[in-house]
Amino acid sequence: MKKRLKNNLSTNEMIVVYIIFGLSMLIGIVNPVFFGTATLISLSRSMLVTLIFAICEMIVIISGGIDVSFPAISCISLYATIKFLLFTGLDSPILAFAMAGLIGMAFGALNAFLIVRFKIAPLIATLGVSSVVNGATLAFLGTDEISNIPDNIDQLSKAFIYTYTSPDGITYQLTALILIPIAVCIAAYVILKFTMLGRGIYAIGGDKNAARIAGFNVTKIQFIIYMTSGFFAGIGGITYMILMRQASPQVLMGSEMMVIAAVVVGGTRITGGHGTVIGTILGVSLITLVQNNLIMLGVPTHFQTFVVGMIIVIGTSITSIRAKKIANSAKV
Amino acid sequence: MKNFILKVKTSDKNIVTLFFIAVFIFAIMGILSPKSFLSVTNLQGMCIQFPEFGILSFGMMLAMISGGIDLSLVGIANLSGIVGTVVMLKMDGGIESIPFGILAALLTGLLCGIFNGALIGYLKIPPMLVTLCGLQLFTGLGLAITKGPALTGLPQEFGYIANGTVLGIPIAVLLFAIIAVIISYLLKSTVYGQHLSFKGTNEVASRYSGINNLKVTIITYGISGILGAVSGILMASHYNSAKSDYGTSFTLLSLLIVVLGGTNPDGGKGKVLGVTLSIIVLQLVSSAFNILRVNSFVKTFVWGLILIFIMIFTSFMDSKNMERKAKKQ
Amino acid sequence: MADAFLRLENIKKSFGGVHALKGVDLTINSGEIHCLAGENGCGKSTLIKVISGAHDATEGSIYIDGKKINHLDPIDSIRMGIQVIYQDFAVFPNLSVAENIAMNRALMTGAKRMQWKKARQLALEAMEQIGAHIDPDILVERLSVANKQMVAICRAIINDAKLLILDEPTTALTAKEVEKLNIIIRRLKAKGMAIVIVNHKMNEIYEIADRLTILRNGENVATGLIEEFDKVRFIKCLTGRDIDEVTYRPEKSEQEILKVSHLTKEGVFQDVNFTLHRGDVLGITGLLGSGRGEIGDALFGIAPADKGTILLNGVEIEIKSVMDAVKHKIGYVPEDRLTQGLFLDRSIQDNTVSASIQKYLTKGRLNHSEMYRVTEEWIRKIGCAAPSPKPNIRTLSGGNAQKMVIAKWLNTNPDLLILNGPTVGVDVGSKSDIHKILHNLASKGVGIIIISDDLQELIQNCNKILVMKNGKPSGELNAGDLDEITLTKLLSGK
Repeated sequence: MKKRLKNNLSTNEMIVVYIIFGLSMLIGIVNPVFFGTATLISLSRSMLVTLIFAICEMIVIISGGIDVSFPAISCISLYATIKFLLFTGLDSPILAFAMAGLIGMAFGALNAFLIVRFKIAPLIATLGVSSVVNGATLAFLGTDEISNIPDNIDQLSKAFIYTYTSPDGITYQLTALILIPIAVCIAAYVILKFTMLGRGIYAIGGDKNAARIAGFNVTKIQFIIYMTSGFFAGIGGITYMILMRQASPQVLMGSEMMVIAAVVVGGTRITGGHGTVIGTILGVSLITLVQNNLIMLGVPTHFQTFVVGMIIVIGTSITSIRAKKIANSAKV
Repeated sequence: MKNFILKVKTSDKNIVTLFFIAVFIFAIMGILSPKSFLSVTNLQGMCIQFPEFGILSFGMMLAMISGGIDLSLVGIANLSGIVGTVVMLKMDGGIESIPFGILAALLTGLLCGIFNGALIGYLKIPPMLVTLCGLQLFTGLGLAITKGPALTGLPQEFGYIANGTVLGIPIAVLLFAIIAVIISYLLKSTVYGQHLSFKGTNEVASRYSGINNLKVTIITYGISGILGAVSGILMASHYNSAKSDYGTSFTLLSLLIVVLGGTNPDGGKGKVLGVTLSIIVLQLVSSAFNILRVNSFVKTFVWGLILIFIMIFTSFMDSKNMERKAKKQ
Repeated sequence: MADAFLRLENIKKSFGGVHALKGVDLTINSGEIHCLAGENGCGKSTLIKVISGAHDATEGSIYIDGKKINHLDPIDSIRMGIQVIYQDFAVFPNLSVAENIAMNRALMTGAKRMQWKKARQLALEAMEQIGAHIDPDILVERLSVANKQMVAICRAIINDAKLLILDEPTTALTAKEVEKLNIIIRRLKAKGMAIVIVNHKMNEIYEIADRLTILRNGENVATGLIEEFDKVRFIKCLTGRDIDEVTYRPEKSEQEILKVSHLTKEGVFQDVNFTLHRGDVLGITGLLGSGRGEIGDALFGIAPADKGTILLNGVEIEIKSVMDAVKHKIGYVPEDRLTQGLFLDRSIQDNTVSASIQKYLTKGRLNHSEMYRVTEEWIRKIGCAAPSPKPNIRTLSGGNAQKMVIAKWLNTNPDLLILNGPTVGVDVGSKSDIHKILHNLASKGVGIIIISDDLQELIQNCNKILVMKNGKPSGELNAGDLDEITLTKLLSGK
């Protein structure tokens, strides 16, 4: 029992918890205002979209793949959707989400097709798709930023589920959009842990060949994974658009780096087979915390990329070294 | 003549294909718009552009032959350019500061590369992850130094590196050619080159053959870093300034070039000639687009398409070959 | 023949023009342990794949439970109670023991939900049945090879297996683990299960088998109760030759090539001493985990020893890495040819020069035509059936490829050549060629160490044998005083 407790205290998740705790303490000491509901609300808002992407990326990585095309897919989904809505004059949030999701899913299917049918390395396949999709968005759909979001959809950005007024009279509001990543997290947790589909995803990441022998439909599962990733890239895109009240065809490009880093820092092994929803939530929290609060620690803005980079390097090194240690440890 | 046909038959199909594609584009563009495509300005313009990403591509190729990948090259290029610029500016930007600036840039590239190599070879972290992190780290460091905007005020003479010519040949092209020859020599005629490709083919067997994998890895990413730095110097010279986010599209482009040039993404195989031809083909396509006034975003689109089609084609050929072998047995 | 579970009649299978199976008859009864023996390439694995439905037989009939089966799919085969445990076990390293055991069952029933409690229950039951005690919540990646095998066996038996096929189950097990496995197999047999074990180690077969079938060149040459086979008949059936009585006995020499004293690697092997004189071929044997292979790894710097001295040709050398070993002219033919010994996607020439590229550096350039010439010379000298140095090494047979691995080291002019399992997966002809090459080298003054579990090979080809047991050496034994039976006894310490 004692051993189990010790094991639980030294899991990857717990290490991230310690780091988050330590960092919060540090920021709190420098700036006591940090400890408060306001920080939590702004943090939630900042990590909202990243979390949607990160959960999907985690699932892809668990299965032994990688997806760097979701920012591009996200952008084309949100941009094509908003263009379509403005052109037709339709104004329905459900339609917006459905359309963006379906566009994303189509490109996800393209990823899966290249990876499964032609056995192209996932990194290269998704890089190629990313380039195609991004190029297509800018070349064929346009480059201008759109800020006249249809009213009904725009309304969502003003839907709040919690309002907090700080002692000095400033109100902080928690957007209702936070429900989307919460739902995604819960769904991912349940599917990964309690369905054969979820266990199949882990099995493929552990040993693809063994999974095939055991009787998993590996092709089908891989299609499901990449299409889901595409679908939520679209959903994430629309969510981002509503949150920012603006649609731009490039805005999410480059976010893949941060998302992959968050997933890996959260204990997911880049080589596949291991990863948890809780870990990913923690990883995203840590990275968002760092990004949002470095200024409070007195780190100048232009140093932030570097500091975030440092944390990512250290985080990934720790997880990689731990994985290696487990591989070399005595067998029972 | 018989000998020649035999040679063509046995030589790399990939290289032959690339060669014909290049000739084809040249011919088509020569017919479509001979005036602008074959003009001296266009040819010179091409010559300024391609060495920047061409030299990066050689770095990517070496990393890929070793069985890895180097996604941090653009970060290294920019950081090196920035460090070089800072050194030159600190020395009051005179002509005599140029060698020191170049040296500082090359050293920066080397250090970044060794950092990558050490993490990959010593800590055994997957190359993709290391260099992806490296990209963030080096870009971040560059940003920290420049504080955002581009650094300007470089010595006038520094611009000659990218824009000047010797006997009518652009210096950048000469530089590219020299590097191509050196890399080709390294791969073919040195012990390091052979060890590199052995390690890329089978890391375990190479260890069991007495090859120092760690050394090979560090040298490889070190060279890759230096090549990044050279490209960084060219970019700084070309734009007459240094910034942390120049050439961001080059990562994908260099990956595309290297794969198109017949380098095996799983490691072990890669040829300078193939990569060089592939660079030329892409530059020709790019110039053709410019002259035909195609939207530059279409280029990104087409690059991705080419990458995907090449991969599909290779996969298709591989399975064909397998079938043929199976039949033979 | 009432209780024959599986009956194969005249099974033929060819790939393209090659006949892997040329008419095999096989009957497996319920409640018997049937050993399938044969040298590599005899068609054992093809036969298993036919039974498991992975390959379709070109000709012949399969009867399961007396019913004729026209076409067998992998899933049909499993449904009819045939379970194969492959050498790599096909377990998931990243999942828990319980999940690994229960997963196939869940997949077969078409379950959509993962029931953790039920899986744990099933796993405990299965382990109870075979008497294994593994924490069901632990991840499989943390298990030893023997326990991974237990997991694979548990997974097979909960699917109501009626026939269990084990493909070379003992190759990676220690002596104790083999004993434990044998107990489990007997227990399953007592429950009426039919068991087929693929193996070619004679002592292990005699330990467990009820009946024996020997395959050679795609045909079954003999089938019968184990009592019907004595050693002579067994080997004759296996190899197609009488026991070769020619053994290697070199002239005595006082010139010391290699002297190893007090070589120790904590927890692996302790205090190993031996001396190799000119002309000697030293054999090192022992069961898996006895430290036999690890001595080779230590001498070649893969996993260097902690303590001890190594004198090579009278000079004390220190080996901390493979580079050190190569520098001191030590060569190593590793155990796993495909992953450790060969660069599979490269030409014969590349493979041959891979350990000695420095030699071809003249005036700052590598001389590729010299490499070609040298490779050509080695192909001829070593008797490799290759048309030229250019073809991919993948195209060579196991025996020819192994010859080229040896040539790769000979090209470095080694003073000491260590061979770990030099003739695993090598056909009979090449095997004796390789032995001749080794004798020839030894007589020229190259130190030769053969690490092997093929006792017959050692007795014939070595004049000194070192038997390892639990990391401790028995001391040098004179091969002339040994036969297989005494050596077997020494190995297991009975």
